[in-house]
Amino acid sequence: MRRLGVAVLATVLGLSTGAHAADTDRWKLPIAVKKLDNGLVVVVSEDHTSPIVGISVVYHVGMRLEPENRTGFAHLFEHLMFQGTPVSPKGVFDRVIQGGGGINNGSTRADFTNYIETGPTTALAPMLWLEADRMRALDFSEKNLTNQRDVVKEEIRVNVTNQPYGLFYWTHLNALAFDKWANKHDGYGSFKDLDSARIDDVKAFHAKFYQPGNAVIGVAGDVEAAQVFALVEKYFGDIPTQTAPVRGDVSEPLNTKERRTSETDSLARVPALAIGWKAPPRGSRDHAAMAVLSQLLVGDNASRFYQGLVKNRELLTNIDGGLNFPLGDAWDFDGPTMLSLFAMYKPTTSPDAVLKGLDEEIAHIDHDGVDAASLARVKTKMLSDWYGQLESFINRADAIAKLQTLWGDARTVNDVPKLIDGVTPADVQRVARTYLVAANRSVIDRTPVAAK
Amino acid sequence: MKTLTLTAALALAFAGIAHSAEPVFPKDLPPYGEAKPLPPLPVDQHVLPNGLTVWIVPRQGMPKITAVLTLLGGTAADPANAPAVSDLFSGLLDAGTTTRSSQQLAEQWQAIGGEFSSGSSADAITLRGTALASHAPVLMDLLGDIALHSTFPDKEVALGKANALQELKASEGEPAWQASRAFATALYGDHPYARIVPTEASIEAATPASLRAEYAQRARPDRALLVIVGKIDAVKALALATATFGHWKASGAPSTETPAVPVDVKPVRVLVQRDGSVQSAIRMGHPAVSANNVDYVPLTVANMIFGGSFSSRLTEDIREDKGYTYSPGSIVTPRRAGSELRVVADVRNEVTGPTLDEVDKLLRGMATQPASDEELVGAKRLIAGLYLYRNQQQRSLATTLATTWTYKLPASFVTEYVEKTSQVTAEQVTAIGSRYFDPALQSIVIVGDEKAIDSQLKAHGNFRVVKP
Repeated sequence: MRRLGVAVLATVLGLSTGAHAADTDRWKLPIAVKKLDNGLVVVVSEDHTSPIVGISVVYHVGMRLEPENRTGFAHLFEHLMFQGTPVSPKGVFDRVIQGGGGINNGSTRADFTNYIETGPTTALAPMLWLEADRMRALDFSEKNLTNQRDVVKEEIRVNVTNQPYGLFYWTHLNALAFDKWANKHDGYGSFKDLDSARIDDVKAFHAKFYQPGNAVIGVAGDVEAAQVFALVEKYFGDIPTQTAPVRGDVSEPLNTKERRTSETDSLARVPALAIGWKAPPRGSRDHAAMAVLSQLLVGDNASRFYQGLVKNRELLTNIDGGLNFPLGDAWDFDGPTMLSLFAMYKPTTSPDAVLKGLDEEIAHIDHDGVDAASLARVKTKMLSDWYGQLESFINRADAIAKLQTLWGDARTVNDVPKLIDGVTPADVQRVARTYLVAANRSVIDRTPVAAK
Repeated sequence: MKTLTLTAALALAFAGIAHSAEPVFPKDLPPYGEAKPLPPLPVDQHVLPNGLTVWIVPRQGMPKITAVLTLLGGTAADPANAPAVSDLFSGLLDAGTTTRSSQQLAEQWQAIGGEFSSGSSADAITLRGTALASHAPVLMDLLGDIALHSTFPDKEVALGKANALQELKASEGEPAWQASRAFATALYGDHPYARIVPTEASIEAATPASLRAEYAQRARPDRALLVIVGKIDAVKALALATATFGHWKASGAPSTETPAVPVDVKPVRVLVQRDGSVQSAIRMGHPAVSANNVDYVPLTVANMIFGGSFSSRLTEDIREDKGYTYSPGSIVTPRRAGSELRVVADVRNEVTGPTLDEVDKLLRGMATQPASDEELVGAKRLIAGLYLYRNQQQRSLATTLATTWTYKLPASFVTEYVEKTSQVTAEQVTAIGSRYFDPALQSIVIVGDEKAIDSQLKAHGNFRVVKP
């Protein structure tokens, strides 16, 4: 991520609903889509309740597609997108957006990289122009590369090297659970690989992935779709199309034998576990059921794991997790991911006791399924959370752009609630039996050790 | 409520205002659109006969509702021998009521698509609930039940204490948490704003009875605000508020008001030793004036220029030019009894001294290098833009209104603040620069490894090394 602090993890989901939310709770987003001749897709959702606009430019490239000897490159590249272009020197981008009353950010994920901004609608044209400008070309300078390499290293220090647990439930759990390099390598990158990055790498990455045919622009807010289409045509229409990037097969089967490791942590004071079960592919028959199961198990304080392990058994201090945790949500991925957990356990217990407790909760669902009342509650909560994530225009723009990129259709924003609502008790039981089994589980035990 | 416009700010086209050190804006960059008036923020305001203040903002769009109940008296009102006990009791409010267990509460929130959270700040206890719009009556019923009938059951308190002790221990490993605690101590000394986190002793000493007593002190309608924002009719919202909270009566004496923050404290230098730290977590700043003070608005504008945005002087220098840090920034945090200016930068060990040098230079520059037109206009536009952005979101708006009330300001201040910032001049920013940004005024707290950075600190004063 470019900068901490602006929490903008959007998601996907839509509306409609089931028997559990009243008709008045339905919220359908208008969606207008246009594809330019050069392949760029524009998605607009109008909302005239506030005179602001959110924009998200999503490129269909993330950590999975970075070169094998360049770990962390997709993220380093994201930083370089803010470093100026041949016609807009460094500093212009931020000054124009701030000068228009807006804020911006960017983030790199396994399957996409997004660039988001929001501001008063009076800043719409300059913001779109700036996005087109950096899609066209960057200021490929050594000075910028060196500067942002340093900034990225500080980002890694502040989030990993100098931080208890150091996001081990992301990078280390991926490394343990997955077999293909695309899925298992450290997306933040090694300092060695970051140091090896060259300007030619930056140029090649931009040419290959940062092109109209590999991008989607989402716009939400107080705008007219026709006006947005015209502006995008004007600013982006002459950017040439390149050959579509090749996407290798990154899929992996479920694991057939449990994987466990242990680590020490000289900054942490309390032991912790990272646990992950490999999940079904995006859009597959089991996807929505896995999302519902995830909510049922670890979605909130009513969840089975929280009530079972933090409250009743008193084994954990806290638990966090979900499908596609921690870098995304249940809908914004398009490659192998996990239902992952991060939990701190008490010194009076052990990892085995925690795993046994989790297994007992899973076994309830395996044996008895899920009761209608629990399922209804969970679905209502998921619908409400989905709406909540779509409230701000910047998140809404990002959600529809990501859905268009990953699912091929931004209208999925209005379909995902139907997917959730269609999940039956039998579906939940089936995915629990299929995916939440010990053989498909990876576990890291991380314990405190004195600093050197 | 009146409507105001940003005409003054927007009348300046950006093409002509860059000074020589700043980048030239591209010739093809389209101009901003014509200024639009800032939309009004009508707040339906009531005071119930028992003294409860109720602010309602009906909204269209997303079919959800947010309700926030704020009670005066946060960690600053905690007994000196029970620091941040507010943290403990506010987190246990939904551990059970006279009619519902903690699990029943959690499940009933879930059933309405809701979420409940509660916590303490320096000045207040805040309870927040959300739900799908059709469930507004249940939302209010649950919020009222927790606020008025929470029982702090023995078993839940015992578990809450055990977990709080474990969480306290875990937090001790985090540099940002260490820095916050040490910074509060450095700035406030004996003032209650120093006591923002609990101690092992304060957690261990807590009992169900002591938590009930502390909460009862804050749970008074005459020192409380209820904010309701979302897809609900104002009349219906008021009726729900009255039905839920109208019979609420205070019991016992209220918590005491926090004395004004000391603004003439002697700056200190503290190094919190953290073995093996690969970064120095630097915090600089001092207590400042409350939001009612005439200096407050220009102070926030000056802060935006100094370190409050991505194109601020601080970010452009120590991040975008020097590459010392990932997330530098500065912030003015208002409080009921003052405010606080804080500069933040986490930097690798080797550049700790150079960062302090640069920040000192930039702080001094606030008094000697007047804000350019572009800086000033940019700061004002960003403030106005953030007003629109934050207030479009119901949860954010409800929180803004609640904190505004906590700071003894009227609801209209939320909008008037933007208008006032639009009138701030470069001369005012310079004057604020010398009064608030002078390096000689700033306390410095660093969480880091002494043996890695000690020699770099010499030029910046005598750092007292603290082993937490």
